[in-house]
Amino acid sequence: MTQQELQHLYWRAGFGINPNRQTSMPKNRAQVVEDLFVDSQAYTPIDIDLSYLHGIKPIDLKTFPELAEEIRKKGVKKILELNGAWVKRLMNPNELLRERMTLLWANHFVCRERNPLYVQQYNNTLRYFALGDFKAFVKAISKEAAMLRYLNGKQNRKNRPNENFARELMELFTLGEGEYSEKDIKESARAFTGYSHDFEGNFIFRKLQHDYESKLFFNRIGKHDGDDIIDIILAEKQCAQFISDKIYRYFVNPKPNKKHIDAMTEVFFKDYNIENLMRFVFLSDWFYDEENIGTKIKSPIDYVVGMAKTVPVTFEKEKDLLKIQKLLGQTLLDPPNVAGWKGDKAWIDANTIMIRLKLPSVVLNSGFIAFDEKDEFRKQFFKNTKRKRPFKTVPKWDVFEEHFKLTKTEQLQDHIIQGKINKGTLDYLKILNKSSKQAYCIQLMSIPEYQMC
Amino acid sequence: MYSAHVNTRISNVLIMDRRKFIKNSALASSLFFVPNFVKTFETVASERLGYKRLVIVQLAGGNDGLNTIIPHNNDLYYNARPRLAISKDLIKLTDDLGFHPSLSPLRPLFDNGELSIINNVGYPNPVRSHFRSMDIWQTASGSDEYLQSGWIGRYLDQYGKQPYNAMEMDEQLSLAMKGEHLNGIATNDYKVLYNTAKDPYFKNVINHYNDAHLSEHNLGYLYQTMIEAKSSANYIFENTKVKPSHKIYPQNKFAKQLKNVAQFINSGLDTKVFYTSLSGFDTHANQINKQARLLTHYSESVSAFVQDLKQNDTFKDTLILTFSEFGRRVKQNAANGTDHGSANNVFVIGKNLKTAGFYNKLASLSDLDANGDLKYSIDFRSVYATILSQWMEVSAEGIIPNQQKLLDFI
Repeated sequence: MTQQELQHLYWRAGFGINPNRQTSMPKNRAQVVEDLFVDSQAYTPIDIDLSYLHGIKPIDLKTFPELAEEIRKKGVKKILELNGAWVKRLMNPNELLRERMTLLWANHFVCRERNPLYVQQYNNTLRYFALGDFKAFVKAISKEAAMLRYLNGKQNRKNRPNENFARELMELFTLGEGEYSEKDIKESARAFTGYSHDFEGNFIFRKLQHDYESKLFFNRIGKHDGDDIIDIILAEKQCAQFISDKIYRYFVNPKPNKKHIDAMTEVFFKDYNIENLMRFVFLSDWFYDEENIGTKIKSPIDYVVGMAKTVPVTFEKEKDLLKIQKLLGQTLLDPPNVAGWKGDKAWIDANTIMIRLKLPSVVLNSGFIAFDEKDEFRKQFFKNTKRKRPFKTVPKWDVFEEHFKLTKTEQLQDHIIQGKINKGTLDYLKILNKSSKQAYCIQLMSIPEYQMC
Repeated sequence: MYSAHVNTRISNVLIMDRRKFIKNSALASSLFFVPNFVKTFETVASERLGYKRLVIVQLAGGNDGLNTIIPHNNDLYYNARPRLAISKDLIKLTDDLGFHPSLSPLRPLFDNGELSIINNVGYPNPVRSHFRSMDIWQTASGSDEYLQSGWIGRYLDQYGKQPYNAMEMDEQLSLAMKGEHLNGIATNDYKVLYNTAKDPYFKNVINHYNDAHLSEHNLGYLYQTMIEAKSSANYIFENTKVKPSHKIYPQNKFAKQLKNVAQFINSGLDTKVFYTSLSGFDTHANQINKQARLLTHYSESVSAFVQDLKQNDTFKDTLILTFSEFGRRVKQNAANGTDHGSANNVFVIGKNLKTAGFYNKLASLSDLDANGDLKYSIDFRSVYATILSQWMEVSAEGIIPNQQKLLDFI
């Protein structure tokens, strides 16, 4: 594998790779790819302290409104804590590919919930099934407390169906818009009636609220329940196609390639095994085609986690990491709607591009990109921002120096930037003073090319 | 092969123009990259833009129109919503229709003839998915077509020159604001944007950049957005008067958006469209309190905004359009909420409305569609087309697909 291919694989399966790590990697592609899967076999759930909920019963919340209010407020803080725990996990993952897949699924089975217990359980379900059996995955999602609340599955009862989950199940989770009729939605909503959960977030099937009558779904009559509906949906090749298309756009290229997606569909439709599908993608020659390298716009999370991969950084205030996510337009656990973040060009507008270009210098160097700029700007910068930096951070440059020990400053761009650099910008980079590796790193992170992966 | 060749030639034209722009930008930062063929429109555009401004308020999630404008004299309404129907404290406006109690701050506007309520606005074959229906409203497409640009974005393509000609009061830009060639700008905090754009390193990168092959690619898009951001940030910062408004706004995020809009309008910024949003209307369960709280935010904020504009004599040049991606089902659900519906009401607020009060009657509650939703009688695209031609004084052609019947509210 060439350096470029290795970096490409690691940018898509993870968040980049540092040069010191590259030297110890096997040389052949099959082995590198297999290691990715071996390293992600384990499953490490996120587990924050939620002991404040122990021993509390639903009836207590009704009896003591003050307690309910306190629990609610605590919950808001705990969601933020979960957000931080997740971002830190992404920065220091044990199972790299599993975490990358978890991030993808969180923007596929989109869910937003306020109870931190249900949020954590949901997030761990995504992580657990991330590389597993898609069929079991969809069924597990349909029974998650967070999802039952988010898409009103709880309110879906016999004779009073609520269609919200049934609709999104087909439109967003499995088939795509227009691949079903309104009648299919109404019938399948009936099949999911009686789904509920207890206070701790365990699934409960309420027999009295389930509609046991026959349903006509995708031309099949039967006394279907929710799992039956999911089996019928997945028997449609369209489902394998829909997921393959999504995986292709996410992992390969935002511009779909029908031939490659069709090939993926064949692989996925056989057994709906996510790991097999991903192995097929990473082993395919076309995955490493030049047209696929450096063509994706990094999501805000890709961008922030990737930066911390190159230069590890700690934030003095936990909230700052959250603020950065907000400014860049992607706060984990807080998607805009059930369709999730659109991604690609939609990440970038006049605001987000400027924040992205400026952030490396703010986080890593008190807001200065060019070390040798005239003092005038430096003075003005401080005058305008009144106080010091917007974020208090401690960048670990010693770790960076270790990562890039064997890399000459002039070679830095081959590691920091994926894909081609604009010719004019390349000319500009050539004339920059390269006496400091750290300074050049920040300068590279402050050009538009750094937004690509 | 042939068409690829033509494309190259076109992009060469763009490159030359962009180079020229980049050189000039050091001298005149407000200059903006515009292809030559667009430039020919400019003289026409500047004459036509005028001072008329449009403020859009998006109620995201699907506001329940039937509990907003209430058919208080209709048994069908009460029967369909045994636990949701509102009778207490409702504000009767006509023999048939009245306001939700939370809309009381809008009562003076209604009485002054400064509010027009258009009932049953929708489109054929309604889609009940939030994001799809929102896309339809934002792109002005039909339910069977997908457009990649928004209606305000296409207005910018034809009649705008700078991203700041259309501003969204948010951190992120909606599809509505994205054109084929030009995007609006999102300004949650214009001062931050300005401070960021000022860095000399960026100036150097922009000056060196040359666009040999990249204009269609993601990377070219990044550079283009960077250049636009810099010039817009300068303009907004330099032209916004920091004098705070005297008018007291309620304390909520939506009010803050409108307060910023008022500041921009009263500073005389060359911004034709402002986009604001209030979300949380997806009331599948326990609707009563949620909707009441949201409608209070809406009505109190809008009322403060209108008074602020009136004090600065800018209300006469401002039109406020409020919409939601769909209404909700006539029949309530089991969770004391309502499911996604279709046709809904649209509010138009401004001075000198041609038809104030109720523009049309509420659709029948007995003649519903197969899902049990209101049937639409006015296409939302004809509302847009009317605003474009009667208020913004531009042709809707090329902005709103298909010719639309013009309405008579302005």
